[in-house]
Order: sequence, then structure tokens, then C-alpha cells
Amino acid sequence: MLKVEGVEKSFGEFMAVNGADLTVGKGELVAVIGPNGAGKTTLFNLITGQLKPDRGRIVFRGEEIASIPPYEICKRGIARSFQIVNIFPRLTVFGNVQVAVISQQRKSNTLFHPAQGMAVEETNRILESLGLIDKAWNTAGSLSHGDQRILEIAIALGNDPKLLVLDEPTAGMSPEETSATMGLIKGLAQERGLTILFCEHDMDVVFRIARSIMVMHQGRTLIQGKPQQVRENEEVMRAYLGEE
Amino acid sequence: MGRTILNWKSFLPLLAIFLILLILPPLLPRFYTYIIALMFVTGLLAMSLNIVVGHGGLFQFHHAAFYGASAYTFALILTKTSLPLWIGFIAAPIVAAVIGLVIGLFCVRLTRLYFGMLQISLGSLIWAIVFRWYHFTGGDDGIHGIPMPPFLSSLTSSYYFILIVMAICLAVIYLIFKSPFGTTLLAIRDNPQRCEAVGINVRRHQLAAIVIATFFAGMAGVLFVVLERSVFPDLLFWVLSLEIFIMCLLGGWFTFLGPFLGAAIMVSLRTFVGIYTEYWTLILGIILILLIFFLPEGVMGFLLEKFGSQVAGPRERGIE
Amino acid sequence: MDSGYILTFAALSSQFLVGLSRAMILFIVCSGMSFVLGVLRVPNVAHGSLYMIGAFSAFSISTLFGGSSTGFWLALIISPLVVALVSLIAERALFCHLYEREHLMLLLFTFALMLILGDLVKLTWGADYRSIMAPPFLRGSIPIFGSSFPRYNLFLLIVGPVVAISLYLFTNKTKIGKIARAAAVDREMVGAVGINVSWVFAAAFVIGCYLAGLGGALVAPMVSITLGMDHDIIIEAFLIVTIGGLGNMWGALVGSLIFGITQAFGVLFWPQFAIVFPYLAVVIILILRPTGMLKSVW
Repeated sequence: MLKVEGVEKSFGEFMAVNGADLTVGKGELVAVIGPNGAGKTTLFNLITGQLKPDRGRIVFRGEEIASIPPYEICKRGIARSFQIVNIFPRLTVFGNVQVAVISQQRKSNTLFHPAQGMAVEETNRILESLGLIDKAWNTAGSLSHGDQRILEIAIALGNDPKLLVLDEPTAGMSPEETSATMGLIKGLAQERGLTILFCEHDMDVVFRIARSIMVMHQGRTLIQGKPQQVRENEEVMRAYLGEE
Repeated sequence: MGRTILNWKSFLPLLAIFLILLILPPLLPRFYTYIIALMFVTGLLAMSLNIVVGHGGLFQFHHAAFYGASAYTFALILTKTSLPLWIGFIAAPIVAAVIGLVIGLFCVRLTRLYFGMLQISLGSLIWAIVFRWYHFTGGDDGIHGIPMPPFLSSLTSSYYFILIVMAICLAVIYLIFKSPFGTTLLAIRDNPQRCEAVGINVRRHQLAAIVIATFFAGMAGVLFVVLERSVFPDLLFWVLSLEIFIMCLLGGWFTFLGPFLGAAIMVSLRTFVGIYTEYWTLILGIILILLIFFLPEGVMGFLLEKFGSQVAGPRERGIE
Repeated sequence: MDSGYILTFAALSSQFLVGLSRAMILFIVCSGMSFVLGVLRVPNVAHGSLYMIGAFSAFSISTLFGGSSTGFWLALIISPLVVALVSLIAERALFCHLYEREHLMLLLFTFALMLILGDLVKLTWGADYRSIMAPPFLRGSIPIFGSSFPRYNLFLLIVGPVVAISLYLFTNKTKIGKIARAAAVDREMVGAVGINVSWVFAAAFVIGCYLAGLGGALVAPMVSITLGMDHDIIIEAFLIVTIGGLGNMWGALVGSLIFGITQAFGVLFWPQFAIVFPYLAVVIILILRPTGMLKSVW
């Protein structure tokens, strides 16, 4: 479904991503792991168009998407959440998700039709499945950090994506919240038949739920394989042990 | 829920206000009729700016350029051509919107302050041309004594005309705010980057908002000519642009009618403080500073916060 | 006018010098604005009002000395200081409490300040046109390139570079100048090394306003001093600092030269639209290079 080949990106002198390869098959739950500064977030930003790669190919469902703007990538079926909470703080929780659903229905430019009754069902369904329905009319900025993280995912679901890219969905969460959230994500994947690409620092969680794991180190892909293969790979051991 | 746009309960007070405004002119001295009509015009102008500032989060620093351009277009069509009034009436706001489109095309590539600066420079260019083109625009004298057809000949008839056009414009602006377009615009103000990530073409959306806002600024420009029968370069001077900005701040730019209230306050300040002292801008400056320090959300924002439960519907209150 | 005459070398060069000297005034005002913009990140809308106060107080001081040369020189020294004092009061009493707020609020504050100062000038000096005389040896014209050139403009051509060099020395050689420059680039760092950022801002604001006052005092003998001169200069200053590169002092110089010279040649070629030319130049530059000709400090 998604294929990333030899992608590179530098910021001035610094090579943030220096040869990353990644394959995500339909319906898979793929994790990207690696020490801090390995280039995971940059890679995600390249995939979803916030950044443009210097070199390499990013192909989604047979189409090169490396040089198109983020909103076009989103329309092709990739939605994402951000590592740092990135919501619409002055809108309601409902409004946050509704904007995404309206955009998905290609109705963002509709001028003379009340938005109020629009996309209500879909939005409510998403809020319900993520347990935010009770807080639907709160201002998003007033939510707790954990709820804002969940809202991040809810907004991404609003686009009804074929591929969901989650950049550290549990950043800043307690261990309990983390496993609850990851359970939620796994449930979503099964329920909606979603393909999910995510990165995560909690190794236990990753090895428990990911189908395939890609390991990044200093901007490069070390390996991508089944959890078992990754666990036994010597290079990976060295990368992690060398760091710590 | 079931709260629709035309909910009668929330619509009734507005209807009442409209009716009161309808019966006012015969009851009021001429001067007050004129002042209220001026409030309508200025209010519409401030509301049009708020489409892009309060709701769009853009630094539209030279909004007066579009207002003035439309007023001049209307005045020139009426004085230099023999075209009927209604053509001028339609053409002038469209000219404003087209200028808005062209300037917007250049500006939306930029962010924040650079957006504002480029707009000031383009708007000032228009001002400079109007200011010096004596043969065509009358230069710094402007154009005075613009002829009006019989149905707009008296102040009272102008008042009604302005009231009705303004009411229609406000209704349309309201519909736009409540439409998916308006909701999306709010989202862009809150977080443009996130909007891109949910599939919204932010720049095109902002450009559309600019065109809409400049069109309504153009409507206000036309109404100004109907009221004043004259145009002058100060209509597109940057000082007016900042004043419109202040009106939005004064009334509260996160509310729908706030800018209108701000405009009304500003017009009354200028008129009634102006009667007692020629130093009304001093008073305005002091009020502005008090506002910045104590009421950053504006008068309307303050009222909504204070008495919000009575004004806002259940959605805004977060109870459902 | 006979166009054959207009395009002589003499006319061109003398008009060029006129534009250059006009640019010097603009530069002195805009360098101050740019300095404030660089450090505080706020376009100071009241900058033009301070320029106007500079001109009016130059008038008062000069009148106090009966229009003598002593009066002129004292005006040149004292009126920028008066302006600096006014700005210091405004900064310490009000402005300094807003630094944590949104930029738009700071901008609107300076607008409020402009409204207030404008009326205070009206209260103090009235709405009449005022003028002062330059000292005798700066009056009249001297022949240059076969056409006459006002001596006072020549004087400005000397003062402008002197101010530029002093400003350069100030920002690069003195401690406070270096701190201000560092604050323009990275304000967090300046705070982190234990410098009171609030006072750095105050100093930058006052110095910037001092330059506005100096510009006002210098322009006083050339123009009629009147209400409304704040509105005229401020928009030009805005555009100049933008085309130069926000906060860049040399950018202010480049911008002023472009503005002054295009206007001067505009007068020569198409007098009616003289003021349109600099705006046109600005628009073209900003469309091609929206962030200005030189590097912005932001």
C-alpha cells in the first residue's frame, strides 16, 4: 500500500533522514522504532507531505506522492496525528472532528448550507468509538492532555483514511494510559480494517501489537521485519545498546 | 439539539430590532437618522473585515483600500457614465472583490506580518494613484455632489435603502459563518498546519475568504456613497484601515456582531465626543489602551463571557 | 515645462541629490523604526508621531532663541531628547506591561499611542502651520553640476552617513548595542544569560524613538511643520523597513534610498504622480522578495 524507498532529507548540514525504506501492506499495523533523533518524525512528515524529500520515492497505492502538498496527500487517503498536540483549541471537540469529516466529504467550500446538521452522524460515531462523546461540546483547548491526544486520533479518523499515520500517539501519557490507548488503536484497526503506521517509544507495546517493525538509526533504516526477526537482529541490538 | 438557523426564539429579538430601526426615522431628528445610517455603513465594513481577521486569522491591514475602491467605482460610474444606478451598484463591489482577489493572490503566499506589509504597500499604491489622478478621481479633493436617483433623494429613503441592504448583507455573512466554509475558516484561524493535514487547501480557502470580505467591504463602500454623496481619498487611507481594525477589537473579534457594536461605538464616539471637544482621538486612544489592558476580548466578548448563558445557545455553553 | 530642459544632466543630477537628501531623513527615521522592530518585533505605529513631536519641539526651541543659529543647533540636540523622554515615559508606564501579549495587541497599543500623541501635539502647538529657519550658512543654494542645489540638503547628505556610522558603531562596538542586537536575533538567549530583557526592550524603544525625533528636528527647516506629518511619514517608514528587511539597519538605508530617489525622479518625469513611483517600487520589490532586499533579523 505504501512504499518508501531511499528517502533522504537534510536540514542544512544535518541529515535528518539518510536512506529510509519502509513497506506497509494493506491492513497491517506497522511500527517505526528507533532512538531519539533517529528521524522518525521527519520520516512521517515526509510521508504526509509537511516536508518534501531531497531524494527517494514515496509511493502510495501506486502513485508517487513525494512532491504533492499535504492536503492533496490527505485527500488520497493518508491521515495523521502529530507528536505534539495539534488540534483546534478554540473549537469544540465535536467541531474539531467535524472539520475533518466535512473536508473528507469535499464540502469545506460549501457556502450557503448550515454546517450545523452536517456530518453529525459520522462525527458522533468517531467520538463514540474513542470515548469522547461525553465531552463533545467542551472546548478542545480545555481537555486534559490525555484526551487531547485521543482527539488527535479522532481528527485523523475524521478523514476516513486508508492509511493512518500516528506520530507517537502516546507521547506524555502514563503507562496505564499508554496501554489503554494502544488497545484502542488496535481495536480501531480491526474494527475498521485500517492500515496503521505509528511510532512509539514503549517497546513492550510495540512488540505486542505491531505486525511489522521498522528500525531507524541515525536517519537510516536498519531493518524491517516481523517482531521476532527484529528482536534477534544484531545490528538493532548494537544500535540500542550503543545508545544506552 | 434541533436548533436550526432560523430558530424563531433567537430570531425574534433581531426581528424586533429591525422593526424598531424601520420606524425610527420619522421619530428622530435628521441628524440622528444620519448618524444611525452611518453606523450601518461602518458596521457592515467592520463585519466584512472580521470575516478575514476574527474568523480567518489573517493580518488584513489595508481593508479600507477595498472599501474606498468600491466607493470610487460607484461614484465614477454615476458621474462619468450614463449607466443606470443598479449597474454601478453591482459593479462596484465586484471591482472591490476583484482587487481583493489580485491582492490576495500575492498576499496568501506569505505569513502574518509579511502578509500585512505587502497588503499595506499594495493598498497604499491604490491610495496614491487615487490621491493624484485629478482628471479621473478628483485627486485629493475627491468627488462631491454625486447625483442620486429620486428614490434615494431624501435622507430617509437613503436610510431605508442602507438598512435593508445592510440587513441582507449581515444575513448572508451570518449564513457564511455558519456554513462548512465558515467552520473551516475558524479551524484555519486556530491551526492552519492541522488544516492542511486534514485535507484543506488553506491558501485557497483564505483567498476565498478575502474575496468574500472585500466584496462586502465594497457593499459598504457603495452604501457610503448613497449616504454621503461624496468620495475622498481618506476612504482608502491606511488610518481608516487601522480604525476598522480597532472597531473589531473594540467590539470583540471572536463574536459575530461584535465588530458591528465596535463600529457603532466608534461612530458615536467620534460624533458625540466630537461635539464637546476636538480632541476625540485622544479619548479614543485612551479607551483603546484601557481596552487592551482590561478587555482584550472586546466589549461583546466580555458581555458574552459575563452573561454568556443567556445569549449563547446550548452548543456554546457546552451543555447537551 | 519644456521636456527638453528637464532631462539635462544638470537636472538629473541635482534631482538625484535632492532624492538622496530626502533619503537621509527617511533613513534616520526608519533606522529607528527598524531598530525597534528588530528588538521588540513590533512595528511602532507611533513612530511617526514622535517624528512630528521632534519637529514641533525643534520649532519651539528655535523660537525660544528668536530663530538664531544657536536656537537651531540647540533644537537639533534637545528635541530628540524630548522625544526620547516621551517614549521612555510611554514605555515604562504602559508598553512594558504588554510584552507577554499577542503581537497584534502591541501593534494596537502603538496605534493608540499615535492617536494620543497626535492630539497632545494639537493641544500643545495648535493646528497652525509652523516653520523654522536653518542657520544662515545653511540657507540658499550652491551650484553643483551646473544647477543650484540647496545647502541644507547638502548638510543632510553629511548628517545621514554620520548617523549611519554612529549607529553601526553603537550596535557593534558598545555593550548595550551588542545586547540589543543579540536580543533581536534570539531574545530567549539574552534572558538566559541574566540580562534584564525588559530594560533591553526599553533601551531599544527609546533609542529608536530618539532617531524619530532627530529625523523630525532635521526635517523641520525643510517643510512646514503641521499636524498630519505623522500619518505621511509612518506609512513610508513601514514600507521602507519592509523592503529593506525587517529589523535590518542597512536594509533601512537601502529602502530609504530606493524610496527617496524614485520619488525624486518621479517629480522630474511625471510630477503629478510623483508619490506613486515609490509605492510602485515598493510593491514590485515586495512581490519579488516579500521578506525584503536584505536579510531580516527575524
